[in-house]
Amino acid sequence: MKLRVVGAVVAALTLTLAGCSEKAKSSDDGAADKNGVKTGEGVTDSKITLGALTDMTGVYASLGKSVTQAQQLWVKETNKAGGICDRQIELAVRDHGYDPQKAIGAYTELEPDVLGFTQFIGSPFVSAVESRIDGQDKGIVLPQAWSANLVGSKYVRVIGATYDVETINLIDFLLDGKRIAKGDKIGHVYFEGDYGENALAGSKHAAKEAGLTVVEQKIKPTDNDMTAQVSALKQAGVKAVVISAGPRQAASLVGVAAATGFKVPVVGNNSAYAPQLLATQAGAALQKDYYIGASTLPIGDAAEGPAKLAEAYAAQYPKDGLDNGVIAGYNAASVFGEALKKACASKDLTREGVDKALLTIKDFGADFGIAHDFTDPAAPSTRQTVVMKPDAKTPGGLKVVRPAEVAPAAESFTLKP
Amino acid sequence: MSEAVKDAPAAAPATATPFTDRLRRPAPYLWLTGSVLLLLFPFYLDRFWLQAGLFAMAAAIGAIGLNLLTGSTGQLSMGHAFFLAVGAYGYCILAGESGTENGHALTGLGLPTWLAAVLAVLLAGAAGGLFSPIAGRLSGAYLGIATLALIFIGQHVLFNADSLTGGFNGRPVPPLSLFGLTFDDAEVVVAAVPFQSSEKLWYLGLAALLAGGLFARGVLRGRPGRALNAIRDHRIAAGVMGVPVARYRAGVFVLSSMYAGLAGVLLALVFQRTVPEYFGMILSLEYLAMIVIGGLGSVAGAVIGAAFVSLLPQVLTHYSDSLPLVSAPGTGGIAPGEASRYLYGAAVVAVVLFLPGGLARLKNPGEKKK
Amino acid sequence: MTTFIELLLGGLSIGSVYALIALGFVVIFKATEVVNFAHASLLLAGGYVTAVLHDDIGFWPALAVGIAGAAVVGSAVEFFVMRRYRGSDQSVLAIVTIGVDILLTTELTRRMGTDVLSLGDPWGDDVVTIGGVTLAETRIAAFLVAGLLITVFLLAFRFTSWGVSMRAAAENPQTAALMGIRLGRVSLSAWAVAGALAAVAALFLTVFPTPGLERATSLAALKAFPAAILGGLDSTTGALVGGLVVGVTESLATGYQSDLSFLGRGIGDLAPYLVMVVVLLVRPAGLFGTKELSRV
Repeated sequence: MKLRVVGAVVAALTLTLAGCSEKAKSSDDGAADKNGVKTGEGVTDSKITLGALTDMTGVYASLGKSVTQAQQLWVKETNKAGGICDRQIELAVRDHGYDPQKAIGAYTELEPDVLGFTQFIGSPFVSAVESRIDGQDKGIVLPQAWSANLVGSKYVRVIGATYDVETINLIDFLLDGKRIAKGDKIGHVYFEGDYGENALAGSKHAAKEAGLTVVEQKIKPTDNDMTAQVSALKQAGVKAVVISAGPRQAASLVGVAAATGFKVPVVGNNSAYAPQLLATQAGAALQKDYYIGASTLPIGDAAEGPAKLAEAYAAQYPKDGLDNGVIAGYNAASVFGEALKKACASKDLTREGVDKALLTIKDFGADFGIAHDFTDPAAPSTRQTVVMKPDAKTPGGLKVVRPAEVAPAAESFTLKP
Repeated sequence: MSEAVKDAPAAAPATATPFTDRLRRPAPYLWLTGSVLLLLFPFYLDRFWLQAGLFAMAAAIGAIGLNLLTGSTGQLSMGHAFFLAVGAYGYCILAGESGTENGHALTGLGLPTWLAAVLAVLLAGAAGGLFSPIAGRLSGAYLGIATLALIFIGQHVLFNADSLTGGFNGRPVPPLSLFGLTFDDAEVVVAAVPFQSSEKLWYLGLAALLAGGLFARGVLRGRPGRALNAIRDHRIAAGVMGVPVARYRAGVFVLSSMYAGLAGVLLALVFQRTVPEYFGMILSLEYLAMIVIGGLGSVAGAVIGAAFVSLLPQVLTHYSDSLPLVSAPGTGGIAPGEASRYLYGAAVVAVVLFLPGGLARLKNPGEKKK
Repeated sequence: MTTFIELLLGGLSIGSVYALIALGFVVIFKATEVVNFAHASLLLAGGYVTAVLHDDIGFWPALAVGIAGAAVVGSAVEFFVMRRYRGSDQSVLAIVTIGVDILLTTELTRRMGTDVLSLGDPWGDDVVTIGGVTLAETRIAAFLVAGLLITVFLLAFRFTSWGVSMRAAAENPQTAALMGIRLGRVSLSAWAVAGALAAVAALFLTVFPTPGLERATSLAALKAFPAAILGGLDSTTGALVGGLVVGVTESLATGYQSDLSFLGRGIGDLAPYLVMVVVLLVRPAGLFGTKELSRV
């Protein structure tokens, strides 16, 4: 009986109090400001809030730091120039430390208050919220990952060539330079997971087109010593090696190969290099016969875009080094900015309006070496790849060896068969 | 957040006192306020807080299970994350439909979701049972590190058995349907408040936590609980007194795995997608931290510890702008993520040294130590 | 065949580094019956001190300071944390070391940030080739140093009074205390020794062929867990054998992963744990561990 009394009191109180919630639905969709610009989530009369879900304390800390600081720099510059649509831009940054619970939590936290995301590091987490993005949230998300699995959504847009396309271009670079030929074996050392497996799909396609055989070596992000892999590849008699892993693995692989007299060219995806490596034991070997592919010019390039950005970034963050994360981050933020400007012109700053605006952007970002085309959500924004080489003398540690180009095999490649 | 649950045991022992006497004490009122608050939260809080609360509830269920094993029986397990994964993935495989996603073929049995949830919990228990040849024979550090192997083996399978687990990107979690109510993002308006998955799952989580907590309390207060404590305190003496040590050890391992499985199912429902990255060693360590901070061997302790460890980073991140020392990422200084790690690392050390019995004992310092 | 020998030698040399770490666990476990999960952070501490100092004071002095530093951190953990525990449950203490590990690792990784630190070792990326088998000099150095340290330690354990008091403490703490052995000193020295060994291991884990010291280095210390367990947590010989078994298993499983692809690729990391589980099924106390005796 006592329990029943308590239960009844609880139920009564709950029902009474539930009635006066402020969370109760009130429709504010389709609000418009005095200039007739429609606004929605994340946009007020004076402010546009964008989100950045980054990793500054986890495994991708070095990428996350550069990307975030570059985007904060973009925000500062944009606001100094008067903002967009008479509004100041604000960037809400959340560091998830590559922890799924924090990443999903941060997305849920920011989603109602931002127009979209200029950055979302960690493709598993993007996949985890993708059904929410596509189904109800419908805000633009620009992930800092180049997996083909992320392509295909109207709202999640990868900027640059996906890993598979990039790998095909890199193998084309080797074929082009007569470093490998039909009938040869090539080694592919790749991370377990999205990144590595996507790149592997590319190298398999390229190998089929060019009559090569791929020798696979799968590794985990915690493996730092590539001695056993090099032994195995040497034994298999490969003529070149593709590495789709992190900077540390690339350094170890190239270093061991050079030291043991295994003289083959090594090519790596954009995530397989960091300028910090030049200071390690493998620095000299890396500058000999190692090449990186990416969808932007290196930050140390003499072209106007990278040079201006490098100068501004160094002035803003004198203590931090320059790397390609800076360009990637700044580029992503500018793409978002361009979409905002177009949405403003068509007087619709709602998520829907920005989504539409992004779908009209073509030929954007040529300042950084490659023009991106966002009109087709089912295709990567470009299929071109710039091939670069580590170089200690250039800021950012990379110089171009082959400008943006797309291999025929990459042109014909279908993502996600 | 989980304060009310903690108060529940405090109110219960006073069964002998008349009803009117109990009304003069603060406990029933705390309990009442707590319950009302917990029931009301979905009407007021944002999805972010609800989700954080749900993570804490799932953690609490898992921690209760681990506490039965480590706290009450003295068996150190570092493999708890593995059993969480069995629950989460088991549910997806049993309830999901076969199909292809991103070029991966996914196998699913397409069972009714409520049945899949029950079977997933049993599956986690069975996985614990399979490990019992080791769990029944080992104790202490040996068991701790042997269970560490489970995590590495488990994550290897999660990453590699593509057709079952979806590999690196995991697989989507089918929303649970119970008595015609589906816990998905479709809006149901209750008292003018739109109910989406978090709001609906909130009540499911509360019910699961309450049931799990009461059951564990029953186990601990009864004969099995005394046997388990006897094993922890003196294994040989327990054996001499007629406690079947190996059977109890294996049994409590299975039970604790089932709790982990239930927590895994709830987590999967909240995440809406299983992520293999999550079920690693860090997660297991967090669970150990929870039960130590909250208090070894008590249900309330597990709940308090779980709330502390899983809400701390979310709270710090959310209020990072207004906290001293903690600074927003990218501005230098201590990032919120790091701050929460410092705090809970320090909490583990401090609680063991200065507060044996954990935070749960703070409330009733007079309670006799067993 | 050359590949096999290369993989075997590579495995033995990295295995001897794992043995150093495992020996640290074993020493602490023998003296205090605590499993030290904070070992990874001791390793990181030693490596960090060496990396920061080598530019200013040269490699050898920096290494010496690094070893001493890790020993000091180890003793500090013992003195300020372990010794204050009043309870009797050793698995609670094991969880405390997890807390200590979280604190130390967070602090050290925050200091390191995103850098890859070089330890400035004199070997560089030189290799030695004998009969077609190539081996990095750093690996030969690792093997020799680890072998030397382990031998010295085994001898000290057997013949010095320190070793005798430690063995007595491991055998029966109460009796040892009654015989006038200061248990506090024994456990303090055990922690210091474990720290020093971890610092040496840190050096060899971060030189060529690995790029340098960074936040993920501490993960390598995890491989010493199966090493210590499969050898037997209270056996110094076991630590040596366990370390070598883990190193060789890992190296062979990685090198021959194409032939083992039915197990899923990337089996190298997992192999040591599989071996450990099999060993535990047959011998629950590890290969060389003492079977727990039942005294009532």
